[in-house]
Amino acid sequence: MSKENKIDTVFKRLRTENKTAFIPFISIGDPDIETSLEIAKTLVKNGADIIELGFPFSDPMADGKVIQKSYERALKRKISMKDAFNFIKKLKTYRDIPVILFTYYNPVFILGEKFAEGAQSAGIDGILAVDLPPEESAELTKYIQDKNIYQIYLLAPTTGNERMKDILSCAKGFVYYVSVTGVTGARKNLPETIRTKVKEIKKISSIPVGVGFGISSKEQAKDIGKSADAVIIGSKIIQFIEDNINDKPAMLRKIAEFSSGIKSSL
Amino acid sequence: MQLPDKKGHFGEYGGRYISETLMPAVIELELFYKKIKNDKEFIKEFNYYLKNYVGRPSPLYFAKRLSDVYKSDIYLKREDLNHTGAHKINNTIGQALLAVKMGKKRIIAETGAGQHGVATATVCALFDLECEVFMGKKDVERQKQNVFRMELLGAKVNPVESGSQTLKDAMNEALRDWITNIKTTYYMIGTVAGPHPYPLIVRDFQSVIGKEVLKQLKKLPDILIACVGGGSNALGLFYPFFKYYQVDMYGVEAGGCGIETGMHAASISGGAPGVLHGNKTYLLQDEFGRIADAHSIAAGLDYPGIGPEHSYFADKKRIIFDSVTDEEAVTAFQKLCRLEGIIPALESSHAVAYLEKIKKEIKGKTVVINLSGRGDKDMHTISDYLASNTLKK
Repeated sequence: MSKENKIDTVFKRLRTENKTAFIPFISIGDPDIETSLEIAKTLVKNGADIIELGFPFSDPMADGKVIQKSYERALKRKISMKDAFNFIKKLKTYRDIPVILFTYYNPVFILGEKFAEGAQSAGIDGILAVDLPPEESAELTKYIQDKNIYQIYLLAPTTGNERMKDILSCAKGFVYYVSVTGVTGARKNLPETIRTKVKEIKKISSIPVGVGFGISSKEQAKDIGKSADAVIIGSKIIQFIEDNINDKPAMLRKIAEFSSGIKSSL
Repeated sequence: MQLPDKKGHFGEYGGRYISETLMPAVIELELFYKKIKNDKEFIKEFNYYLKNYVGRPSPLYFAKRLSDVYKSDIYLKREDLNHTGAHKINNTIGQALLAVKMGKKRIIAETGAGQHGVATATVCALFDLECEVFMGKKDVERQKQNVFRMELLGAKVNPVESGSQTLKDAMNEALRDWITNIKTTYYMIGTVAGPHPYPLIVRDFQSVIGKEVLKQLKKLPDILIACVGGGSNALGLFYPFFKYYQVDMYGVEAGGCGIETGMHAASISGGAPGVLHGNKTYLLQDEFGRIADAHSIAAGLDYPGIGPEHSYFADKKRIIFDSVTDEEAVTAFQKLCRLEGIIPALESSHAVAYLEKIKKEIKGKTVVINLSGRGDKDMHTISDYLASNTLKK
C-alpha cells in the first residue's frame, strides 16, 4: 500500500485547523552546509510547516539579486546533489517535515533516474523545477511517479484561464502561485490582484494554493493567508543570512524571530 | 520530417524550458509568427529592408589566391559586407518587424562581442523602438567600441556583474528583465537558441544566406564550412542545403586553448546534453550540471551552449562538428588578410582555419565558407594576442 504524501498530510491537517501553511525557503549550503542545516532546523522549530530547499545553480535565471548571491555563496564550495540528499536526510532525522527541493532542471536532468532514486531515499516529498513547465515534464514524471514524489507546478499572473486549467489538472500537493510578474525578491507592495487570482484558481480546483515571490512581512503574510493555503517566503529570510554573515548567533536569532512572527500571523 | 515538431523539439533537443511567467509570451510569439511568416506583405517588407538597408544579396566571392593554395575552388559568402558588418542584422530586421507588428515598443537583447547588440540597436533606431542591451561586464570592457556604437544608436547598455560576467550571464539578466516587463517588452534573441520558437525564427531569417548561395553558385557545392557559437550563421548557410545529401557540412567550434585544456567554447566537441536558457542542447558543464565558463579568443563564440538544431544534426552526423584553436584561427585570420585583402572577424576566421584541417579532402572540390563578419572590431584583440605571442617566442 502506498503511503500518503506528507505534503497532503500537512494541508489536510491545516485545513481542519483553518490555518495557512508557512513555507520558508533557503539555499542548501548558504553560507556553508553546517550553518544552513542549523538555519533549516531553526525554521522547522519556529513554525515552518513545509520547507523549500534550493539547490544552488550557476545560472539562476528566475531569481533576483538576493537568491543569486545566496547561490554564489553556496557555490564557493562545490555542492553536489548527493550533498543535498545528505542534508535532507539529516534534516529529516531531526523532524519529519515535508521537504520540497527547489532547483533548476539541468542538475536533475544530468542525473536522470539516479536523481529520483536519491531523492526518494533522502525523503524528498516534492520537487519544484522552476524552468520545467508541464509541457517538458514527461521525462521527470516517468522517474518520480512511482516514488511518491510530487512535482510542484507554478501558475503566474500571465497564465491564462485555459492554461491554468491544464496545469491544475496535473498539479499535485499544492500549486504555487507566483504573486508578481518578475523574479524572486522581497517587495514592499504586492499586487492587489493576488486575492482574485487565488479565488479564480480555487474555482477551478480544490488543490491547495501556495503564494510566493515578493512576500516579506507579517502584514503581507496575514493578508495573503486569508485567501491562500500557504505562504512562501525566501528572499527575506536569506537577507538575514547576508546581513549577519559574520554573526551566526544573531543570524539564527533573527531568523527564528521572523519565522515565528510569520507563523503566528497565519 | 518537419523540424522542429509542434512542441519545438528537434528530436530530443530544443523545447521550452522556462519559468511559467514566460510561457504565455513565447506561445503568443509562436502563434503570431506562424500567422505572419507566409504573409506576402511581411515577406515583401522583410526583403525590402534586406535589399535596401542591409545591402543584400551579399556577394559570393571566388577567392582565387586562397583557392590556389588549397587546389580547390573556394568561395566566400560575404556576410561581412552587410550593414553593421555581420550576418546578425538579417535576424534583427526580421524580429524588429515582428515586434512592431505585435505592438511591442521596448526591445531587449543580450550580446557577447556586441555584434548582435549593435544589430539590435540599429534596427531599434530604424523602427523607433526603445532598446536595452545586456552585456557581461567583462565583455563591456573587452568591446568598448561596440558599446559606444550601441550608445550612439540610442541604446542603453546594461553591464551584467553576476556570474562569469560574459554572454551567458547577459542572457540570464535579459531573461530576468523579460520576466519582469513581459507585457511591454519583446526579447530579441541573437542566435538559434532559447525557448521555441526562437531557434526556428532565427533560422528562418538567417536562411537567406544559404538561399542566396544556391542561386549565386548555380550548382551544388561539395562542402560548406561555417563557424559555430550559438550557430546562427552556420544554420543560415546550411539550412537550405539539408535536402541535398551530396553536400558535406562542417560546423567549426571554438577550440580556445585546446579541448584537452578545458579552456574552450566547443559545446559539441567537448560538452554534453543539458538544459539552459530555455532549451535542451549540448552544453559545457561540470559533473553536477552546473554551467561551465567558455573560452575563445572570438567573443562571439564565447558561449557554453549551441542551438538545439545543431545538437540534433550533430547526433545524426548530418553536420560534422570539429574545432580549431585560438592560434589556428589567428593564423587563418592573417592568411586571409594577406591573400585576399579581407580582414575577417575572429569568429569567421575559425571557418577559414578549418581549410587547413581538411586540405586533403577539399582538393579539386567546390567549397563555400560563410564569412560571417568583418574584423574591424577585433583589432585590439589581435594586436594584444600577437604582441603577447611575440613575447613568448
